Amino acid sequence: MSFLHINNIRKHFGETTVLKGIDIAIEQGDFLVLVGPSGCGKSTLLNMIAGLDSISDGELLLNGRRINEVHPAQRDIAMVFQSYALYPSMTVAGNIGFGLEMRKVPKHERREAIERVAKMLQIENLLDRKPGQLSGGQRQRVAMGRALVREPQLFLFDEPLSNLDAKLRVDMRTEIKQLHQRLGATIVYVTHDQIEAMTLATRIAVMRAGELQQLGTPQQVYDDPGNLFVAGFMGSPSMNLLNARIVMVDDEPVARIAAGEGTLELPIVRDREALRGWQDREVIIGLRPEAITDPASANRQDGVIHETSLTVSLVEPTGADVYAVTHLGGRDINARMRPGTQLSPGEQTRFAFDVSRMVAFDPQSEERIR
Amino acid sequence: MPNSPSPQGGGARARMQRWLPKLVLSPSFVLILFFVYGFILWTTYISFSNSGMLPDYSWAGLRQWSRLWNSWTWGIALHNIWIFGLLYIVSCIVLGLLLAILLDQRIRAEGALRTIYLYPMALSFIVTGTAWQWFLNPGLGLEKTMHELGWQSFSFNWLIDSGMAIYTIVIAAVWQATGFIMAMFLAGLRGIDGEMIKAAQIDGAPAWKIYLRIIIPQLRPVFLSAVVVLAHLAIKSFDLIVAMTGGGPGNSTAVPATFMYSYAFSRNEMGIAAASAVFMLAVIAALIIPYLYSELRESRS
Ligand SMILES: Nc1ncnc2c1ncn2[C@@H]1O[C@H](COP(=O)(O)OP(=O)(O)O)[C@@H](O)[C@H]1O
Ligand SMILES: [Mg+2]
Repeated sequence: MSFLHINNIRKHFGETTVLKGIDIAIEQGDFLVLVGPSGCGKSTLLNMIAGLDSISDGELLLNGRRINEVHPAQRDIAMVFQSYALYPSMTVAGNIGFGLEMRKVPKHERREAIERVAKMLQIENLLDRKPGQLSGGQRQRVAMGRALVREPQLFLFDEPLSNLDAKLRVDMRTEIKQLHQRLGATIVYVTHDQIEAMTLATRIAVMRAGELQQLGTPQQVYDDPGNLFVAGFMGSPSMNLLNARIVMVDDEPVARIAAGEGTLELPIVRDREALRGWQDREVIIGLRPEAITDPASANRQDGVIHETSLTVSLVEPTGADVYAVTHLGGRDINARMRPGTQLSPGEQTRFAFDVSRMVAFDPQSEERIR
Repeated sequence: MPNSPSPQGGGARARMQRWLPKLVLSPSFVLILFFVYGFILWTTYISFSNSGMLPDYSWAGLRQWSRLWNSWTWGIALHNIWIFGLLYIVSCIVLGLLLAILLDQRIRAEGALRTIYLYPMALSFIVTGTAWQWFLNPGLGLEKTMHELGWQSFSFNWLIDSGMAIYTIVIAAVWQATGFIMAMFLAGLRGIDGEMIKAAQIDGAPAWKIYLRIIIPQLRPVFLSAVVVLAHLAIKSFDLIVAMTGGGPGNSTAVPATFMYSYAFSRNEMGIAAASAVFMLAVIAALIIPYLYSELRESRS
């Protein structure tokens, strides 16, 4: 019996269907991140878990109890909103303690709980201020404090970091992760930022247009994308996707890719049996930028390396790495080279492909071939 | 841009374009300067003069002012405006807020209801006053209808009861302005962040507590605007009283505005009337100027 079970949940707003049957189950202590482009229904799903939106169809179970019809206040959940939703007429202490006050917790207990949470979030010196006098980052902390103080069974976060500037966002991300590890809390977290999803989650649910695309650990979603959408959405810079044809060489399938005048043949390591059935047909293969490197930084220990010479068309140093762009299979592809690599456009250089990380997709259905 | 004048269109034409708006507006500017501010100054001077039926420019010092403050009718007028203003402002705000909260529940007929509530404000005070005067007149309206329907013992004669007549004016005035105040509150309610209400629901607050603790405190600027608007409407209320009771029975519904009118035009005491007019102006200015000042400062920052 899983801790939170979202069982075939649907949502209609009048004629339009916003969620088309979502199935997700997580365990206690999990950090589930719902990720997907804007408008795909993440907030709607979160609001349904919170009880703020009604459930059109399906069942929601928390700790084995059906909570479809339970009032938000009785679900034992707390939520942090994108706008923070602080009460402007109350002090920070009043904001944090409001939920306890409504639950008739005695005043001195409330005071203790507020101080404990304020200490944890380092906002003790702000307790007597009004939200209007706080910076964005401080408001964010107060919003978290308001959720933490109640010690609920389940925390819900709706894009809590998207109103912060880039630097603060990274800091708060780390803090949220530490908080999760320290408290062992169960969290459902919504974001459209795939980096946030990768760094925070123990489970990622990738959504698109009201449908669940893939549910898995960050590593599964990153290394084993279930379809083209997930492959393209997760990871930055995104996965290289190129056209290839499966051909048999010595009775083994290889991916033949147009490379300049000639062709490049990459041996197939993963999903080899499935790809045998694709002989002489077009597929789309996916290779992460870090699986295409200079020969010296290739991972020869775990990987299967295939080297070839290609022409560099563009060089993008980022400081930590150098990305080299080259033309292959009708697309521009990104390769991650050792930092400090000296390359110039037009130059021929050796590239090492780690074919053990190569995945293939059906160009029609966009599903993974495996 | 075919319609915008070209700045290079000759020196004379450019100068003309610069001066034309000023030229067109200047007569009305001069007229306003004369008829509004000039007459304010004139009235103020009259209040310190010996004027009776006709203006008399001989200086009288504070004589008219002391006669005003010793006048029995002026005492009634002040007492009435105090009762009327307080009841009017409080009832309009309470009813307006309640109606706005009801309408904010996203009921189906909202558009129609909002229009119905707003209609009275479109009527002039004279029309409102006349209509309510008919309605409350024991020989014509409600009471007569009830009698004809067979409820012989029904009696509602506040309009002709000198102790109660002022309340009939409150009823009519509240009926007229409540819709407008409701619209102000409704706009305020619509501006409140929906996520905040969701947060309060999760925090376990029942609906009435969400309104009392979270939403209404955020409507403070609306309350302030409503008080200022209603207070100056109350002090200026002249036509409504003239249409409904004419200040009677006796002097029982006299307010400063009707006092001023009757002293100026039927009792031939222009000096006292001028003093009362200046007094009303001072009260309204004391209300409005700080309000405008804070509003303008806010909109500039
Ligand atoms: N109350 C509503 N009525 C009608 N459509 C809605 C309502 N709320 C959300 N939607 C629609 O549902 C879709 C998903 O919205 P949402 O869950 O907010 O997306 P996300 O959080 O993933 O950006 C959007 O296309 C949005 O227009
Ligand atoms: Mg959203």
